Amino acid sequence: MKSPAKLALFEQTILPHLNAAYNLARWLTRNGQDAEDIVQEAYLRAFRYFDGFQGGDGKAWLLAVVRNTYLTWRRRERDVAKVPFDEETHGSVQLVEKAMAGSLRDCLELLPREYREVLVMRELEEMSYNEIAAVTSRPIGTVMSRLSRARRRLQDCVTARIKEASR
Amino acid sequence: MNCESAKPLIESYLDEELDAIQAGHVQEHLADCPSCAQTHAQFLEQRTDIRAYAPYYKAPAHFSDVIRGALRQADRGTAETWRWIAIAASILLAVSFAWNIARFQSRDSSAALTAQDVLSSHIRSLIGTHLLDVPSSDRHTVKPWFNGKLDFSPDVKDFASQGFPLIGGRIDYVDGRAVAALVYQRRQHVINLFTWPEAAPGDAEMARNGYHTVHWNSAGMTYYAVSDLGIGELRQFASLYKQ
Repeated sequence: MKSPAKLALFEQTILPHLNAAYNLARWLTRNGQDAEDIVQEAYLRAFRYFDGFQGGDGKAWLLAVVRNTYLTWRRRERDVAKVPFDEETHGSVQLVEKAMAGSLRDCLELLPREYREVLVMRELEEMSYNEIAAVTSRPIGTVMSRLSRARRRLQDCVTARIKEASR
Repeated sequence: MNCESAKPLIESYLDEELDAIQAGHVQEHLADCPSCAQTHAQFLEQRTDIRAYAPYYKAPAHFSDVIRGALRQADRGTAETWRWIAIAASILLAVSFAWNIARFQSRDSSAALTAQDVLSSHIRSLIGTHLLDVPSSDRHTVKPWFNGKLDFSPDVKDFASQGFPLIGGRIDYVDGRAVAALVYQRRQHVINLFTWPEAAPGDAEMARNGYHTVHWNSAGMTYYAVSDLGIGELRQFASLYKQ
């Protein structure tokens, strides 16, 4: 593919999913700066591999690249330093409303990554099982069972938090 | 539909992943079964909570431009890379052309220099007193004489019966190396046959300033026969030697 045409097509089909890419990266890294780094790297990667993109679901394709970029990044970072959560996430909780908000966010962030990502894709990105399966390279059955476990664990976590806050 | 079969489908129903018929069955069951309806309600509430309280992190305002810039740079980089590869390739091509031309030229010129050197040696041998180191018409005298003086042993032949008598030999210098010069006579003309171990490139014949040179390679040796003889007679000598 000729370069200018490639760039134009890429900007047209893949760039519009920037928010989805950032949202997933932000939930995966739990950190704004890392999310930006990963999304930028993911976009460059996606551009490099764009010739291999068969058309179709640009969002799922991009999110798969974001996720893979994250996994690579995490392997690289794992032993270097523990990345701190953004501080806003851990404000004090007093009101039930605030407790609910904080708890939900905290609990979602505390979920193991396998559960966190499917919940984010399903509930925030409103993606289908099929799309999530494509992004995670897992069978639909695995997506369903992960999603189900994720929901239960999130529920347990939130319930416990609220109980604690209202004591 | 009973609870047993409905329960595993509640989440798929929630996620709108059931076909219309299955979805209809689950919906009917939820209307009849308070337990399943509660489970469904809890999931629904969780969804509402997630969407209400778990932020959808939108990309920062400037970020789209950052990505765009990075992409353009990468795109330029790719183009640039290809351009550099193209430039490098053409440079390589030009260099290899120049190299080959230079090589041919230097081969040519070195061959020409050798021929020139041979001719100079021939002329020097005639105007000085140094035509013969070993004056002898006997090849069994001439050939051993070279032993220990050269790192090779020239093939000495006599063609007295064909009118090209051997009159001796000497050591000469061509291209900065010691070579054997066998000297033959044809009437009043002298023939210098220079030989040394090499397959030297160069023209088979050369005419310059009234002198002729016949050049050939044979069995790892190179030969230059030089004389003021006509080219026909020099060729005759050469072919005698080659036999």
